[in-house]
Amino acid sequence: MSLYMPLWDALRTTIRNLGRKPITAMHPFEPRTRAPRYRQTFALLHEENGDEACIGCKKCEKVCPSEVIVVNAAKRESTVTGKKRGFADDFTLDLQACIVCELCVQVCPVDAIVMCRVPNEPGFVREDLFLTMKRLYANETLPHAPAIGSTMIASHAQGPAAAPAASPAPEPSA
Amino acid sequence: MLFDSPVLHALILGLVICSALMGVTSYFIWFERRFAGRMQGRIGPEHVGFKGLLQPIADAFKLLIKEDITPRNADRVLFNLAPLLAVFVALLTLAVLPLASGLVIADLDVGVLFFLAAGAMTVVPTWMAGWGSNNKYALIGGMRAIAQSVAYGVPLVLAALVPVILAGSMNLSEIVAAQAGGHWFAFWPPGPGFLGGILFVLASLAEGNRIPFDIPEAESELVSGISTEYTGMKFGLFYLGEYVHSLVGAALFTTLFLGGFDGPGPDVLALQLFWFLLKTSVVSVLLLWVRWTYVRLRSDQLMTLCWKYLLPSGLGVVVLAAMWVWFSQEAPA
Amino acid sequence: MNALALTPPIAPRANPYLDIESYEGQGDLMVLNMGPQHPSTHGVLRLKLWLDGEVVVKAVPYLGYLHRGVEKLLEKLTYVQSTPIVDKNDYVSSMTNELALVMAFEKLEGCEIPRRARYIRTICAEMQRVASHLLWLGTFALDMGGALGGGTTAFMYCLRERERILDLFEELSGARFHYHMMQVGGVRHDLPAGWDAHLKRVAADISARIPEYEHMLSENVIFRARTRGVGRIDKLLAQELGLSGPNIRACGIDHDLRRSQPYAAYDEIEVRPALATEGDVYARYQVRLAEMRESLRIALALIDGVPAGPIMGRKPIETVNAVKPPAGEAYVAIDSPRGELGAWVVSDGSTKPYRCKLRPPSYHALSALPYLLPGVTIPDVVVILGSLDPIMGEADR
Repeated sequence: MSLYMPLWDALRTTIRNLGRKPITAMHPFEPRTRAPRYRQTFALLHEENGDEACIGCKKCEKVCPSEVIVVNAAKRESTVTGKKRGFADDFTLDLQACIVCELCVQVCPVDAIVMCRVPNEPGFVREDLFLTMKRLYANETLPHAPAIGSTMIASHAQGPAAAPAASPAPEPSA
Repeated sequence: MLFDSPVLHALILGLVICSALMGVTSYFIWFERRFAGRMQGRIGPEHVGFKGLLQPIADAFKLLIKEDITPRNADRVLFNLAPLLAVFVALLTLAVLPLASGLVIADLDVGVLFFLAAGAMTVVPTWMAGWGSNNKYALIGGMRAIAQSVAYGVPLVLAALVPVILAGSMNLSEIVAAQAGGHWFAFWPPGPGFLGGILFVLASLAEGNRIPFDIPEAESELVSGISTEYTGMKFGLFYLGEYVHSLVGAALFTTLFLGGFDGPGPDVLALQLFWFLLKTSVVSVLLLWVRWTYVRLRSDQLMTLCWKYLLPSGLGVVVLAAMWVWFSQEAPA
Repeated sequence: MNALALTPPIAPRANPYLDIESYEGQGDLMVLNMGPQHPSTHGVLRLKLWLDGEVVVKAVPYLGYLHRGVEKLLEKLTYVQSTPIVDKNDYVSSMTNELALVMAFEKLEGCEIPRRARYIRTICAEMQRVASHLLWLGTFALDMGGALGGGTTAFMYCLRERERILDLFEELSGARFHYHMMQVGGVRHDLPAGWDAHLKRVAADISARIPEYEHMLSENVIFRARTRGVGRIDKLLAQELGLSGPNIRACGIDHDLRRSQPYAAYDEIEVRPALATEGDVYARYQVRLAEMRESLRIALALIDGVPAGPIMGRKPIETVNAVKPPAGEAYVAIDSPRGELGAWVVSDGSTKPYRCKLRPPSYHALSALPYLLPGVTIPDVVVILGSLDPIMGEADR
């Protein structure tokens, strides 16, 4: 009999799962809540005074292991503060080759680039996976957690509830 | 007899029952997918039609529009004929099944012999597919299928002999009549019927290449076994043939051991059909449950099980049934 | 290490270099390619099998179908950029890859890791071990039961539990598969609020579900018939081949790098060995199941005592050339779910490594195949291959 009881135990295990609620997530009919730090697509942020946060330092371009970021930097006068500072004339990110490592977010000194926790709309042509500067700034409205890296580690450690705006003041690392 | 001529009766009724069976099989596949899904903690087909009810139609359509590939050095006759024969042989067994009293396509006096012979023929299309595909994986699958079918044919015959002995006839309608009034062979007489039933279930699982005996199509080892090289509707026919075979096997088990269309209530055709379908469905669901729970046996373990355990049990069960009949006849009438 | 005492082999060893031309079989030998595309070769592994009927006479594995030049790529990237690349080696347990490489960099640099970071590393490594073993168990059952049957059911159950762990990691690091959690000097993400309660829930649920897997699998007579006595590796062969991890612990050799060369926070906790003696497939299965339980216990024991403090032990990494260790070389080995994962790094004083060599445990586990496969039938080939738990991304790099 001890030969057959385990066979019956296996059957019982399977039938028990009939009664449990299925774990299927009915995507895309129901919204899926992701963790606050979930990283899917990118956004470039504006500062609080409305100016573009990116200063065109190209650190993200240098650190990217897949070399997907291309930045054309220039020094211009800011339309908001009137002072001359670095800007990015063009900032493109090729999502096709991105390995979602978050290094660009980590090295950005002004936390201009962040990763958002919702994906871009699905696309049908390759150009849909190529994030132009316009699309990156348009993604700013997508929900994202604060950028990680030296400036944000303190607030990151406090948990998921944090302000989405970029803060340009660097703090000593934790 | 619906009409005076048995040929016309067989043709019309056969057409109706086969068409109905094809439809039922497609929706049985839908049910299996949802049932298996729930057992695995997920839902099955959901979005194609209400609760996925149009999924079988979508699948059939998808298979129809797929490219029909024949390998270059495949034996064309064998390759193309095998899926057709698979479905044909599976449906052939249906000819002697009594769905209700009088509702049988061909009321043969050797019904049991007929369905055993037809069941044994299922190895032919499997082997044709295995050899004709010109593919080593299919060849191994075909070889295993032959070994398995030939081996498990013996306990199948022995298990099917039990109701024959207990009823005294090979005519399936008479076997059902002998179980009338609730004396189903699986439960009365106690012993030979129950054991014979278990043997029959195991042997028909093996004949139908169902898990835990599905080594001819072992997907993890042999890619797709005998159906590796088949695409499109030919693959669909193999798949359909397998499900038809399993449903027909369940129906046969019901007829031989669970009383067929016998059930409480008046002897109305519709009610008898209902009981038959209900019992077949319950048996099919139980077989599904077994299928989605166990892992498969290795080929030599399968053969060991058959020759060393099922065959002696089959002989023992036949002897038990014969002894029961002899002793119950000895009792004063 | 008296556990490594040599014992005579159990049975005459198969000859992997058998001269196939002169072999006398029952008929012609059939050459079967369990080719790179196959449902059960755990990635792209090509196994050339010479079959006599259904019994394997000689087996030769061919690797390299997933070779992506990772070690060459690491010579081109800087130390900062290399961590997300090695994530993709052993794609099932990513944190352990990063851990090995990053620890090698730290050894070169000589920097000290703060205690909080060590605790986080250990907890992540142990939960990663549970996730990896769950995936292994699911695919192992799938190999045996097929895609349309009981194997799928066990697979779905295991992945259901693994999804809970991936949710945990999603909360912690932002990704579900390739976490990029480790960096030189510590970890990149700190524990979010409520993570320890989440971890305890997940660990409790998984511990409660492990008996279900045992019902479905270990006590099942069909499973035992498929796995007991199959693919037996004797102690001598295991040591000669350099097997490690669950593969060698199932042969009875108590070799665990978490105890013999403690790293991260393993010197502060006791790791109990999961051992078996027979060395067959069933023993490897039992060892991995026991390791799952042990890892859950370790994670639960550590999570309450995670010390406060920084998670980074050196200055923050903010540029691509931030890490510039002095010239030298370092080898660090950790106990990944597959065995001893080693990273050997040679530095020439610049910001890019001169040479990174990764020692993948799966590569050495696969070298056991030519010894194990002769004499078994095809279903056993799949079962033995599955029980060694190879990941081709790691074996090929």
